[in-house]
Amino acid sequence: MTADAKRPKREKPSFKNLGRAIRFLGHYRNITIAAYVALFLSTGAQLLVPQLVQNILDAVTRGMMAQQLATQPAQVQSTVVSQAGMTMEEFNSILANPLAPLYWSIALILVLAVVRGLFAFAQSYMSEKAGQSVAFDFRNELFAKIQRLSFSYHDRNRTGQLMIRATDDVEKVRLFIGQGLLLAVQAVVLLTGALIMLLFTNLQLTLVILPILPVAMVMFMVFGGVTQPLFVKVQQKLSTLNTVLQENLAGIKVVKAFATEPTEQKRFDAAADDLMNQQITVARIFSFLFPVIFLIAQLGQAAVLYFGGNQIIAGTLTIGEWQKFSLYLVYVFFPLGQLGFIISQMSQAAASANRVYEILDAHNEVTDKPDAKPLPPVEGAVVFDGVSFRYFGSTDLVLNDVSFSAEPGQTVAILGATGSGKSSVINLIPRFYDVTGGRILIDGNDVRDVTIESLRRQIGIVLQETNLFTGTIRDNIAFGRPDATDEEVEAAAQAAAAHDFITGFPEGYATPVGERGTTLSGGQKQRIAIARALLLNPRILILDDSTSAVDVQTEVLIQNALDRLMEGRTSFVIAQRISTVLTADNIIVLEKGKIVAQGRHADLIESSPIYADIYRSQLVEDPAGETAILAGTEMEVAQ
Amino acid sequence: MIGGPRGMLEQEVSKPRSVGKTLGRLTGYFRPYWLVLAGVLVLMVVNAWVQVVTPAMLGQAVDCYLTPAVTAQVATDVANVAAQDQTQPVAAPVTKSDFTCWFGTVPPGSPTSDYVAGLGRLVLALIAIFVLGAITGGLMFYSMGWAGQHVLRNIQEEVFAHLHKLSLGYYSRNESGDLMSRITNDTSTLQQAISFALVQVLSGVLLLVWISWNMLSLNWAYALLSLAVVPFMAIATVWFSGQARKAFRVTRQEIGNVNAELEESISGVREVQAFSREDANIEAFRTSNAANRDANVRAVAYTSALAPSLEALGYVAIAIVAGVGGIFMLQGQTLGGSAVTLGLIIAFIGYVQRFNQPIAQIAVLWTNIQSAIAGAERIFELLDEQPEIVEKFDAKPMPSIQGKVVFNNVWAEYKQGEPVLKQIDLTAEPGQTIAIVGPTGAGKTTLVNLLPRFYDVTGGSVTIDGADVRDVTLESLRRQIGVVLQDSFLFSDTVTNNIRYGRPEATEAEVIEAARLARAHDFIERLPDGYNTVLGERGAGLSQGQRQLLSIARAALSDPKLLILDEATSSVDTRTERQIQAALDQLLAGRTSFVIAHRLSTIRNADQVLVLVKGEIIERGTHEELLAAQGFYYDLYMSQFQRQEQVVQASQPSNGQPPLRMAGQSA
Repeated sequence: MTADAKRPKREKPSFKNLGRAIRFLGHYRNITIAAYVALFLSTGAQLLVPQLVQNILDAVTRGMMAQQLATQPAQVQSTVVSQAGMTMEEFNSILANPLAPLYWSIALILVLAVVRGLFAFAQSYMSEKAGQSVAFDFRNELFAKIQRLSFSYHDRNRTGQLMIRATDDVEKVRLFIGQGLLLAVQAVVLLTGALIMLLFTNLQLTLVILPILPVAMVMFMVFGGVTQPLFVKVQQKLSTLNTVLQENLAGIKVVKAFATEPTEQKRFDAAADDLMNQQITVARIFSFLFPVIFLIAQLGQAAVLYFGGNQIIAGTLTIGEWQKFSLYLVYVFFPLGQLGFIISQMSQAAASANRVYEILDAHNEVTDKPDAKPLPPVEGAVVFDGVSFRYFGSTDLVLNDVSFSAEPGQTVAILGATGSGKSSVINLIPRFYDVTGGRILIDGNDVRDVTIESLRRQIGIVLQETNLFTGTIRDNIAFGRPDATDEEVEAAAQAAAAHDFITGFPEGYATPVGERGTTLSGGQKQRIAIARALLLNPRILILDDSTSAVDVQTEVLIQNALDRLMEGRTSFVIAQRISTVLTADNIIVLEKGKIVAQGRHADLIESSPIYADIYRSQLVEDPAGETAILAGTEMEVAQ
Repeated sequence: MIGGPRGMLEQEVSKPRSVGKTLGRLTGYFRPYWLVLAGVLVLMVVNAWVQVVTPAMLGQAVDCYLTPAVTAQVATDVANVAAQDQTQPVAAPVTKSDFTCWFGTVPPGSPTSDYVAGLGRLVLALIAIFVLGAITGGLMFYSMGWAGQHVLRNIQEEVFAHLHKLSLGYYSRNESGDLMSRITNDTSTLQQAISFALVQVLSGVLLLVWISWNMLSLNWAYALLSLAVVPFMAIATVWFSGQARKAFRVTRQEIGNVNAELEESISGVREVQAFSREDANIEAFRTSNAANRDANVRAVAYTSALAPSLEALGYVAIAIVAGVGGIFMLQGQTLGGSAVTLGLIIAFIGYVQRFNQPIAQIAVLWTNIQSAIAGAERIFELLDEQPEIVEKFDAKPMPSIQGKVVFNNVWAEYKQGEPVLKQIDLTAEPGQTIAIVGPTGAGKTTLVNLLPRFYDVTGGSVTIDGADVRDVTLESLRRQIGVVLQDSFLFSDTVTNNIRYGRPEATEAEVIEAARLARAHDFIERLPDGYNTVLGERGAGLSQGQRQLLSIARAALSDPKLLILDEATSSVDTRTERQIQAALDQLLAGRTSFVIAHRLSTIRNADQVLVLVKGEIIERGTHEELLAAQGFYYDLYMSQFQRQEQVVQASQPSNGQPPLRMAGQSA
């Protein structure tokens, strides 16, 4: 069962990674060994019981016959006894105490019941425990890896996919390691043991049964092979149905607004019918396969009854042996069935292990150099020196020979159309990606030569979309500095214009947020993000100064907070507002990854037509700017 | 968007409250399939008979052919020896068997071939019975599955249709995610129960009763002894599975924590790295991951104990059957008034072996059935939920809308006694644009939701062209109203189908035209398959802004007579918004429209601006009028003006001319 050569269709799964996963059991050597020792003991007990049943039945028949014989004259007795190959002493001891072997056997069965119960429990518990522990290790490793993988990896992989690997796939591997593997070994041990017992009991009868075994084996394999894809199909149809349901629940307002209920119902009904028909197909195949498999096993029993019966009548087999034989036969069919299922489980587990290792083996593009040193406290001089950059797997340069520098405390505004490379510029500074060519220096240190943590701890970032994490508002503000005091947190919140709305909540700073907490509005989240960055008190600041989905008042609050945040820090801003570019020390205008203009507003507005164009078309919508226009007009009118 | 507390999460699986009522109602769904069910019952009885008769047939084989053959053999030996010695052999004692031999007894002294022939007949009959068992078993499960799946489909379709009838008020009280998981969970437990568990449990019970009955009638005293372990099996099963369920309840919570943490840390991984929180997160994850592992290990302790304890008890049963039977047989005593035969022992071994499985199955599946009933109960509760918005029985279709909208002293509340809108009066003439501004939570969305009758007023009336929205059919009303929401919902379908969602008959050219109007054409062209690109769940893969553009295109294509834009462009970047502003103007022209927006351009061009604060209109007029009035609206602008002044001052030294002029040029 180690090779999977005979499986038809589907890609031949590689079992290498499943093997690697199994090796994780090495971390739990003692418990694993204990599980397998328990397995041998419990299976041994299981194999002994039919033998004892035979002993009882044989003792009964022998005793009965002895009693029958005892009524005969002594002469007859001795002749018959010697014909049966017994001595008179044996015969007499049977006669004198026919129950002795019975008591022994009963006592032994009771002992075996206890042994079997204890060790069967031990084997399954220990193995499950080992499986859970391996899954624990796996999840930890996956989590750690995912947390550290660079942005470019996360650009290529969606949260949902990664989630499934850390949950479903780990679970499938765990099922195999915690149960499947043990059951497979148990099946093999039981099968071998039972076959040996059968052979020793009666060779002739075993040979009668033997041809049924391959047939049964094939049936079980077919069963595993046929049902697995069926379940996959059911799952697909089910998820189609659920998607319709999910969309209609989440998008109920759209459905109602467009009055498309009838079409949606048709869609749902079609999906429901589809699922039902698939389920019925499954039911049909199961209703056929299951009874057929049972029938094969039962035919085996019938054959044993007939051929064994013939032998009993001929006197070459005892009734006890025959009963034992049919009990062992159950022990042959049962593991065969088990193996059939485990094989399909194993190929699933192998596929899952491959997916899990795809993550664990993923190359992390951004890592500390072996001799990386911590970045000393930053002054704030940032230099882009001939930087070019392309995304993983792409041939197009997103940034092409970009050079500029920022003195400590300066504000650099970055302008350009969508896709011009604005976000790449800011993502390279904290080394979310590595440059493809050129270098980036902070206070003269190449960012690739210092430790990532020391670099990122000194850079504050505020992006347009803010994720909050489960915990209190305080926890979220102190996200980058969990050791901050309450005073510091409050001061940061105050500067970010967040203090008022936070204290407006009944629980204030202790208000839980995130997945299971209070939902904050976009504007509130943005202010938390500003407070979070302020608390770090970074020398270098990266931000996106656009605001969206907030009302005018909030927008003004946020923009004031952003301005406070930038004071005295080297700031890189993806600029959306007039006010930012007007006050910027350096404006960088990007087009298709190249700097097409750079300088201050006053110079650029004269010298760069592209800047003038962007300035007019992109930045005028600043609500504050517009107010100024209005107010200006009015002032002019007033004057 | 809509106030009110979020619905309490009901995650705990509860037991059904009124089993009888729920079962009765569920039975109703099975009525059309009663013939199939009757068939299932017949098959079940036949199948159980097969299971019951098999051990008895083995007993017959032993008592009718095998034992007599063996004793006859001994008797022959004895006779032979006796013949030599000229002594008179004593006839072998004949033990009376409890089994009637269906295939004939073999008289003493017959040749062995007679025994073989009798056994052969029995084995042939046994094979026939096995085949019968296979056929009835297969048919039984298939028929039940077939009927169950049909019932389930009917329930699902009814639930879905009902979900459409429920009003938005229901959806604001119940989160869609919760509803979703409740419905899918409840239907899947129900599905398991009616297509599988029910038959298993019923036939299991039938089998247990029948086997016990059979054993008791064969030999009541021996049967009672043999069945002595059954109560212990039942106790073990109930206890262990009960403990396991309790333990698994904890694991569900723990894995929930693990998943929540995973989800959060993966989707927020960029921030985690930006703030160097990797190590702290990994440490935190380890803790919840370990808690999950420990909870699972605790739970598997119970599940691992269940099967072995049943097995051990099964061995005890075998020891009792074989041992006690053997003892009584050897001592020649009767048990329960009749002698024990070897065939009886063999049959009883067969019977007690058949006990393990149904007991375990019933115990495990019983709770499945129980929670399926609870699930059905919740489904019925959902079906019983009365929609708040229902068409009047004499509702007439809304005639083609001209566009005069009147709010007449409108009040609205989600919760009794907490009005969200108070005394709203407004009149929109056909073709007018009404802008609504105000702080978050002022009731802006509520106000526009009254038009397509997503909610009903609690006082006053909303009329369109003089017709109260409550007097017309919902479909005719909503078909003529276009809505673009802040959170634009897209379906996992092609871009084209998403755009023509409200008008499936629209041509390709019309779709493209609408996309151009919404300035979505360019980015759609850049998608991998252009207009045929299938969007991910909820439009995944598109930016929020792009999604808004698509929903604007969708509204444009449906060519509504009345348009509602609820923060429709809030997530579009400023430059694109400028571009689509022209498109929106085009779209708004000639249609009565209600616009909620925080960008000023739309507001400035509106025919009326309403300032809504705490559910009341505190100011109304045109943009200029409101500025002149120097009220709330004016303050809003002045606060920005002061700020702008600082910027102007700050930028003046480095700038020869006032920036105002520059901005003014471009406006």
